[in-house]
Amino acid sequence: MYIMEKQKYLYQLENVTFCYQLGNHQIEAVKNVSMDIPMEELVTLTGPSGSGKSSLLNLLGLIEPVQKGTILFQNEDLNQMNQSKQNQIRKFQIGFIFQQFHLIPVFTVEENVAFFLARQKLAKTEILQRTQESLEAVKLWEHRKKKPSELSGGQRQRVAIARALAKKPDVIIGDEPTASLDQQTGREIMEIFRDLVNRHKVSIILTTHDQMVQSYAQQSFHLVDGYLKH
Amino acid sequence: MVLFLSFMNLFRNFRRTLAILLTVALGTGVLFSFKGFIHGVLNQYKDSTIHAHYGHGQINTKNYRENVYAEPWEHWMENGEGLNRYLSMEPSVESIFSRVALPALLKSGKTAISGTGQGIEAEKEARFFHGLKIIAGEPLTSRPFGILLGIGLAKALGVKPGDPITLIANSIDGEISEAEFIVTGISETGSLDFDNRMFRVQLTAAQSLLKTDRIETIALGLTDDKAWDSFSSRFEEKFPGLEVTSFAVLDKVYYQHSVDWLQAQFKVIQLIILSIVLLGIFNSVSSSVLERKQEIGNFRANGESVMDIMGLITLEGIFLGFLGSVIGIVTTYIILTVFLNNGILMPPGPGLTNPFYISFEFEWEMVYASLGLTTIAAIIASLLAGVRIAKMPIANALRSI
Repeated sequence: MYIMEKQKYLYQLENVTFCYQLGNHQIEAVKNVSMDIPMEELVTLTGPSGSGKSSLLNLLGLIEPVQKGTILFQNEDLNQMNQSKQNQIRKFQIGFIFQQFHLIPVFTVEENVAFFLARQKLAKTEILQRTQESLEAVKLWEHRKKKPSELSGGQRQRVAIARALAKKPDVIIGDEPTASLDQQTGREIMEIFRDLVNRHKVSIILTTHDQMVQSYAQQSFHLVDGYLKH
Repeated sequence: MVLFLSFMNLFRNFRRTLAILLTVALGTGVLFSFKGFIHGVLNQYKDSTIHAHYGHGQINTKNYRENVYAEPWEHWMENGEGLNRYLSMEPSVESIFSRVALPALLKSGKTAISGTGQGIEAEKEARFFHGLKIIAGEPLTSRPFGILLGIGLAKALGVKPGDPITLIANSIDGEISEAEFIVTGISETGSLDFDNRMFRVQLTAAQSLLKTDRIETIALGLTDDKAWDSFSSRFEEKFPGLEVTSFAVLDKVYYQHSVDWLQAQFKVIQLIILSIVLLGIFNSVSSSVLERKQEIGNFRANGESVMDIMGLITLEGIFLGFLGSVIGIVTTYIILTVFLNNGILMPPGPGLTNPFYISFEFEWEMVYASLGLTTIAAIIASLLAGVRIAKMPIANALRSI
């Protein structure tokens, strides 16, 4: 019964604090945050610039170390995981979408999507199938032979989404994925995210300070000066 | 796909890739041509040394060279004909030159000077030993009582080609014997001490003065100098009382030391060239990797380990190193064979008197070595450039501009 209860949450955070060094100053970006993030929902972390939402997202994405407090990812304590295990989780269970897309410029759209699948050592047919499915999900299959430089900002972000989606991760983490896009394109991206949650049962966690993005969230956490405000 | 990405990354910034390739190509080209030049120098020098005096090596009785004897002829080889027969049947032996030492007093008019001579098979030797510089007259060749004098000795005696000279020597049984000779020519070796006392006469004439048919030394010319080791072990097994000594040991002071010195010099220059290649590649690859911090951060965020990233960067280094090396070697080979086909005229080497042409001599081993060394330098440079970025905290890499 207890296990069933715990599995409802993708992440469980307890008294998490995170600091980073900025020049000679120690900045406390996340302060004593405790929260539970549910599975298969679109969750947003909101707050003004410098509120700690990106730092918190990095902690959830295992790209910053847990310094203080406890983070459980699918009931596993991140503090207890070695680097190799964390690499495996990032490789197979987490998809990332960044504001700057981070596409590989020398690859075509489909090569960009297929690259991390190949790194998962999937069979070639599986890679092709997943690449096609994910590019069709973001309506970019017909652009698969193009290089990122031939695409618009919105299209590039859709490639980044397809790349994250193709991994079939448990969660997609996005750091302001619509910030560099216009309102219309941002809305299209959010529609894709909503579709992913509803149809593909993917959990999505996004940082944003955009009201439009927040309107799509099933649950939203607001941060101010590193503190979680309820 | 990583291999494909590494290859495609070469075209990400074509000008920079071209700069790296040219750096590697230039380094490899210099290394390759320098190796070819040194190889040519050493081969030419070896050839000149072999054809100057010693041949590929010499045969003496065991320990003869290391000792000084009151009556050295007691330790000379008997049965010279038998040895000659055996040697002429050896497939690797091309020429056989029997020699004896002839210490004698040389007399011209009222001047008498002692000299250290040699009885040689002059006609045969003239065909093989073309390194001896004749500054007046001609070599001994077939004149039975001709004598070739060192320049110092000829000056001291006041003789010129065509002049008569008397040789007075002790025969092996202690009697004084003398014979009249005609100066055929005057030679110069570059060694003052040697030129002041050296003279050469026919072997038969020397043996007649010494009243012996023994042979002090047999110098050998081989079909290929690589055959020396197998020949010498075969020979010493067959004739345990005799020993064979290669020209490198006989001429250790000049030849072997010069070779060692040149090779040590080459190693230093090789190190300098490799350091330049390493720094050049390091500089270019560093810029390339630094520009891709965010991309590398993204790779790390998607589960790639530090080792995976290092592998990717190393692969790029291998591509750059290998491609640059191949370009360097092919270009250098074409330039050298087209523009420097006749080689470079070099001054006489240590212990030699004649200038010689150095051609760039290439062997596959040099190609592999140049290719390997510069590729390894490229890999090391890439690793050094990549390790800092690969180990950077992921969030920092993603945040970087």
